[in-house]
Amino acid sequence: MNSYYIINLLIYAAVDAMACLGLNQQFGVAGVTNFGFIIFQAAGGYAAAILALPDQSANGGFQSYIGGWNLPFPVPLIGAAVVGGLLALPFTFLVGRRLRGDFAAVGMLVTAVLLNLLATNYRPALNGDAGLSLIPAPGGQQFSVQSSGYQWAFTAGALAACALVYLFVRRITESPYGRSLRAMRDNDLVADSLGKNLLSLRTAMLVTGGAIAGLSGGILVSYISTWSPAAWGYAETVVLFAAVIIGGAGNHLGAILGALLVPVGFEEVTRYIPTSNNLPPNLIPSLEWVAIGLLIVVFLWVRPQGILPERKRVIKTAGQTPSGPAGADVLVIPPPARAAPASPVPSAAAVPSAAPERPPGPEIVLEAIDVTREFGGVRAVAGVSFGVRRGTMTGLIGPNGAGKSTLLAMLAGTLPVSSGHIRYQGQDVTGLAAYRRARLGLVRTFQLASEFKRLTVLENLLSAVPDNRGDSFRGALAGRRYWRADEAAAIARAQVLLDRFGLEGNANSYAGDLSGGQRRLVEIMRALMAQPRVLLLDEPMAGVHPNLARRIGNELVALCAEGLTVLMVEHELAIMDEFCDPVVAMAEGVVLAEGSMAELRSRTEVVEAYLVG
Amino acid sequence: MSAEDAFRGATLRAEGVTAGYGADPVIRGITVRAEPGEVVSLVGANGSGKSTLLKSLVGVIRVSAGTVMVGDADVTNRPPEDVARAGVGYVPQVDDVFAPLTVRENLEMGGYLLRPKQVRDRIGQVTAVFPRLGSMLARPAGKLSGGERKMLAMGRVLMLEPAVFLLDEPTANLAPAIARTLLEEHVRRLAQGGAAVLIVEQRARAVLAISDRTYVLAGGEVRMAGTPAELAASPAFVESFLGGTVAH
Amino acid sequence: MTIFLASFGFGLVTASVLAIAAIGFTLQFGVTDVLNLAYGAVMIAGAFLAYVINSLGVSVWIGLAVAVAACSAGSVLLNAGVYAPFQRRGTSPITMVIVSLGMTLIIEFGVQAIAGGTSVSYKMTQGPSVRAGGLVLSTVQLVVIGLSVLVMLGTHVLLRYTRLGKAMRATAANKSLARNCGIRTGRVITATWAITGALCGLAGVVFAMDAGSFDATATDLFLVLILAAVFLGGPGQAYGAMLGAVVIGLATEISAAYITPDYKYVIAFVALLVMLGVRPTGLLGARA
Repeated sequence: MNSYYIINLLIYAAVDAMACLGLNQQFGVAGVTNFGFIIFQAAGGYAAAILALPDQSANGGFQSYIGGWNLPFPVPLIGAAVVGGLLALPFTFLVGRRLRGDFAAVGMLVTAVLLNLLATNYRPALNGDAGLSLIPAPGGQQFSVQSSGYQWAFTAGALAACALVYLFVRRITESPYGRSLRAMRDNDLVADSLGKNLLSLRTAMLVTGGAIAGLSGGILVSYISTWSPAAWGYAETVVLFAAVIIGGAGNHLGAILGALLVPVGFEEVTRYIPTSNNLPPNLIPSLEWVAIGLLIVVFLWVRPQGILPERKRVIKTAGQTPSGPAGADVLVIPPPARAAPASPVPSAAAVPSAAPERPPGPEIVLEAIDVTREFGGVRAVAGVSFGVRRGTMTGLIGPNGAGKSTLLAMLAGTLPVSSGHIRYQGQDVTGLAAYRRARLGLVRTFQLASEFKRLTVLENLLSAVPDNRGDSFRGALAGRRYWRADEAAAIARAQVLLDRFGLEGNANSYAGDLSGGQRRLVEIMRALMAQPRVLLLDEPMAGVHPNLARRIGNELVALCAEGLTVLMVEHELAIMDEFCDPVVAMAEGVVLAEGSMAELRSRTEVVEAYLVG
Repeated sequence: MSAEDAFRGATLRAEGVTAGYGADPVIRGITVRAEPGEVVSLVGANGSGKSTLLKSLVGVIRVSAGTVMVGDADVTNRPPEDVARAGVGYVPQVDDVFAPLTVRENLEMGGYLLRPKQVRDRIGQVTAVFPRLGSMLARPAGKLSGGERKMLAMGRVLMLEPAVFLLDEPTANLAPAIARTLLEEHVRRLAQGGAAVLIVEQRARAVLAISDRTYVLAGGEVRMAGTPAELAASPAFVESFLGGTVAH
Repeated sequence: MTIFLASFGFGLVTASVLAIAAIGFTLQFGVTDVLNLAYGAVMIAGAFLAYVINSLGVSVWIGLAVAVAACSAGSVLLNAGVYAPFQRRGTSPITMVIVSLGMTLIIEFGVQAIAGGTSVSYKMTQGPSVRAGGLVLSTVQLVVIGLSVLVMLGTHVLLRYTRLGKAMRATAANKSLARNCGIRTGRVITATWAITGALCGLAGVVFAMDAGSFDATATDLFLVLILAAVFLGGPGQAYGAMLGAVVIGLATEISAAYITPDYKYVIAFVALLVMLGVRPTGLLGARA
């Protein structure tokens, strides 16, 4: 084996693996489908080239390009990563908005095609179709570039860079921040309502992936010393996607495996196919592309999770949760600071477990004041005013179309009011976004299934914790030591909840594998992890087995005794009987009456509302 | 509707139907029937499974146990287009018209299985029943008001003169006066024409007034059945309506 | 003035090819909810099939007929064999795009594997030039424009006046309700792919005629124009595709004449990104 052959193989392996790691971070982990990925590698390559090249008049001036500052190592490589990252910023408008996934993907793909066209045709920028050549290798002045020593050093450098990238993306992914990324991938609407800033997460992923791609392009260019549009057609992105899918999307080792199998593997395999002058020259390359297309379709059909599927994150939980002060800290609802509505919710570990002092007679903690909601001329809610008192489990009932869910959505902030006000803890929150209200302690659950299917039950709960130090890019980068304590505290709280609701055995099961009733529990527990002061439940018992419903009810009542306030929309009226007092009855967008369930049953207008509809 | 239309109805029979989304069935062991010329209503609290039952009868939801018969034909788990051919006209609760198509085109789709001349004649007959529709034939269905859309949805099923009508909360989101007209005039007339009518409704009192028989659903099962008179006299009726699934 | 008229003439021809292609593409999306990115590849496959027949000494117009039939059948197979099974499984729209890209590679480079990488052209005469209102067009160009007008009229008649066309619109609007009317939506979908596949084949051959010489990758950039036309008018809207084709076709060629020919696709690019960012339902679609 020729040593130059091995060097070539290793460098291409390192470059392709790096690119696949970047793509996997975007697509496999965070669900950002960037069909223009190749242009970031291209930009990095060009950046490294124009930084390293001398002025365009050199070498007889046969190339025309911008830049040409002849900068030494490592500036061109750093520049490659920076340019790759910066290039991502204009594209955030395509992925940040509520644009249908496949439409956004088409936009990125088209961008890649057209940028390739521009680069090909606008010669003054990057020497057009012919591309750039004679790009100096790093340290080319000091060392003999052709020497075996230099080549091996370059190879070692490329492999080291790839290893660094691997450690980098692993650190990002195996952190609370990474968990938030995966939650966004699984269900972005719910992640949004839990307080995750989707635009900021996706931007970070585009920039990160772009920088990694750029670096890979820079290294490649420094090695092969040429770079032209032919090297980065839109189809190259498809090759990288094939690699990530086949290797295993969401698994960084899978990304490396995919890189070895597809871009590298195909190159090597075709080397050994006997060439014959009878075959048309284009045949083998064309068939390679056909094979890649076939692999994509076949893998997506037969094994969409790839060869190395995403690993389940099993979190070791301590065997028995200790009872006593730590155990009772699940839901510490500290007495609210009177005059400071924006006071942050302290983390569970810091607050003592004594029962919060009860103010004399429960005060109104959540209030709707003359709230109205109109949809195209129809008044779903018409001038509703009522208050929810602290420490109560208040029910909200009414026939179909009464406006209960609409009212709940307005209280939570997931739907804006047409007119009227919402007051929470004495503060007007009418204009506040849902996730901000969540951070203040006003949290809601959803009617439809909203668990993160490819996260474990425990991870689902942990994703709702608002104040984990590791839940930011910087925090993730700082490493496990930085966020270990916050994570442990959150895990402890989650464990207590799991025990209370009887799901401790499923802590490390994928939430998507649970039964309907169990998934409901996960949803409620997840809302509780956000340390709410007021919990808005939207039909939590729908489709739940009566025994489980009773258990949920009992737990919620116990939590109310510890200071939680609950407003529950339900039409299982027997549940209202057992657990809720007071109960508010609505019909046709207005409040009919308020009182205990027994009182409401005796009110003819309530009964009539149900029967007349 | 001529005299020979009088007995064109067929008996709709659901026996032991169990169906639902995914692992936990929403409805279990439901047995109901509707004879030609009858208005049979299905009432119950929200979440009791009324809509799910209708959807499973027309083939939109999979039936995991039980049978559905229209006359002598077994339509259990047949695709919706075959159930329509068996003579079942279904008006869903939402998405009940083709919004981008005009009123006339909606009716034409309702009469898809008819020959072109029949379609023209039937449109004339349906607009005689709903004159408002006749004046709006060229308007896109998406631009109709709520009441007009429901009329169009009913007109659409009328086109095929089905032997069985399945109506899913036709008065939802309608003003009370329009709702009453819809039930008392149009729905009752369907049965008078000889068809069997199975109607799901939230407005229990209003629909009981036009029903020959009523089933009360709760928790995915049939809790009570009888004539409106029998049910109104029973205290358990209101109870089961307001009682939900958790047994006392 | 002559430059304008000349580019206007080119624009009409481009718009004509684009209209035939875009109508097919948009109807595929409207009725099946699939963004069939392999459309360009099927087009070029049709073009090459006509070339093969043409190179046997047969008139290219007969080749066109064969290509139309073959692409029609091929598209039906593409949906029935690939897209529909994935959709039945509940595959997400993003993954469907990746599948369609995979099919693009298979078809486009399958053609290249068979036909080779060199450019080819049809053996045909452009026919005598025709003067019309200041424009100078060859007979073939006029035929292409004429075919496009026929397709547009035919689409209009199909969708507005025939039972099948209305069933297609009904299926696109509300598939479940269509089934409740007794419409066999499975057959409607098959018919849709057969018709749009035929349009795809037709578009491929006239594209090749207009381009003069072509190779297996010639439709890569053209797909961008198709997407721009479709999204300008609104995905799923046949009339929108017609409008979009005229606008994009004319704008592309006229800008090529006045700015520079190298960047004529840039207009389409900008239009597409603007529509995606501002109004993804298109000019003629309902407000989302």
